Amino acid sequence: MIELNEISYRYEGAQESALSGVSLTILDGEMLAIVGHNGSGKSTLAKHLNGLLTPDSGRVLVDGMDTGDEGKLLSIRQRVGMVFQNPDNQLVTAIVEEDVGFGPENLGVPPAEIRERVDSALREVGMTDYADRAAHALSGGQKQRVAIAGMLAMRPEVLVLDEATAMLDPEGRREVLDIVSRLHRETGITVVMITQHMEETLLCDRVVVMAGGKISFTGTPREVFRRSGELRELGLDVPETVWLRDALAERGLALPGDPLTMTETADAICRSLLNN
Amino acid sequence: MGAKMTLGQFLPGDSPVHRLDPRTKILLMVAYIVLVFLVGRLPVFLLPAAFVVGVVLLARVPLRYLGSSVRPIRWLLVFMFIINLFFTQGRTVLVEWWIFRITQESLRQAVFITLRLLLLVMGTSLLTLTTSPIVLTDGLERLLKPLAVFRFPAHELAMMMTIALRFIPLLMEEVERIQKAQMARGADFTSGNLIVRARSMIPILVPLFVSAFRRADELAMAMESRCYHGGEGRTRMRELHLHRRDLVAAAVMAALFAAVILLSRVSF
Repeated sequence: MIELNEISYRYEGAQESALSGVSLTILDGEMLAIVGHNGSGKSTLAKHLNGLLTPDSGRVLVDGMDTGDEGKLLSIRQRVGMVFQNPDNQLVTAIVEEDVGFGPENLGVPPAEIRERVDSALREVGMTDYADRAAHALSGGQKQRVAIAGMLAMRPEVLVLDEATAMLDPEGRREVLDIVSRLHRETGITVVMITQHMEETLLCDRVVVMAGGKISFTGTPREVFRRSGELRELGLDVPETVWLRDALAERGLALPGDPLTMTETADAICRSLLNN
Repeated sequence: MGAKMTLGQFLPGDSPVHRLDPRTKILLMVAYIVLVFLVGRLPVFLLPAAFVVGVVLLARVPLRYLGSSVRPIRWLLVFMFIINLFFTQGRTVLVEWWIFRITQESLRQAVFITLRLLLLVMGTSLLTLTTSPIVLTDGLERLLKPLAVFRFPAHELAMMMTIALRFIPLLMEEVERIQKAQMARGADFTSGNLIVRARSMIPILVPLFVSAFRRADELAMAMESRCYHGGEGRTRMRELHLHRRDLVAAAVMAALFAAVILLSRVSF
């Protein structure tokens, strides 16, 4: 469990606070999306989750450990794995399997166990065949899968994806999302997705909408997209299904039950047309 | 271009030479360098030469790779030969013309220096031809580790090499990309004299440095997220073990040493 308690943060030399008074509890086993426009503070928030940044005021507790406590940082970072945006700038060594082993090596895990962890992590992300390949020759999506494997090898409890799909092509994005949601489903790992792609939030249990360094509102995807007008005001997109629903409502065809997925929407349209 | 850079001149293979422990190979190479300098008689050069040929055959390295490691220094070899031939003082004059004088001693010196250089380059390039840079870095780190007692940053050095190996191909690609972008904007990198051409590199170097710093920043964050905290308490996935073949290789080198010293120093 990660608890953020009234945290505020201002970058050095910046006029305005990147975060002001944010409180949020991330529960074990949930899949959470944090969305917001550029400069909403969502990436700053992400960097607080494993102590890359520590708040100017307020506290961040990871399983009860304060991220401001230097002595706890290693166990915090082992628990909270983070995948970043640029696939090229987070792989440390030139060979795939060595990179996956980098985290466990830092944690002082015995060599035989590192081997085991690396093999199973590569299997989890479907990159076993690439174990001895050069990292730079992989596609963007494959690099991100390797980065995820590098986190899994540390046996974390929480996986934070800080806009990990932002630089990928649609194919690569789908690969990464498929793996993350399967991991969440099968292992029950807590997932925090920081993203600008609103469709990605449909995979999540809960969505946190940020603006101007504050949390605007939170809720299930269904609850959040009911407020599509507010989302647009914050400069955020809505999924195509929500857009369609709103457009139909404007023209006098209100769909019942806030449909979200493609099938739900299709069903709702059929039903309303039949009723009319 | 990028793909070639990562692996340096390494030729992957599965020969006994490839499988030798990198520590053994590095130490053998140092021994080999000393060996080449110990040769005191011309015919004795046959021994290190035979060693090189033996390793080449054993490692199944195509000869042209050995040739291409010598090619960059071919003018240096010629230059060294000429300098030594004409400027070494000696008594037994062989040829004399105007201010040029070739003596028996200078001829001997020139041949010695050239052969030494040739053997050094060929022998040492065998190390990089048969050992991947990553394994080499690994071996170097472990060899230098005892020096940590004297605060020698062995781990840091190896980490720097590891990161360099990862990012060199990336930066090469970046140079290409920036170069193309600048050319699309009408930049010209191929005409003009040396100074003009050097100046035209500035629009490439500035963006390259900016991006390299940004990468370094992000990489540092990623490394911290993965619990990197220096070499202390760090384990390695790949362990190095000495095998019988390492002992055999060391024995061969020792025998070679004995032979070279014996044949160079002892008069019959």
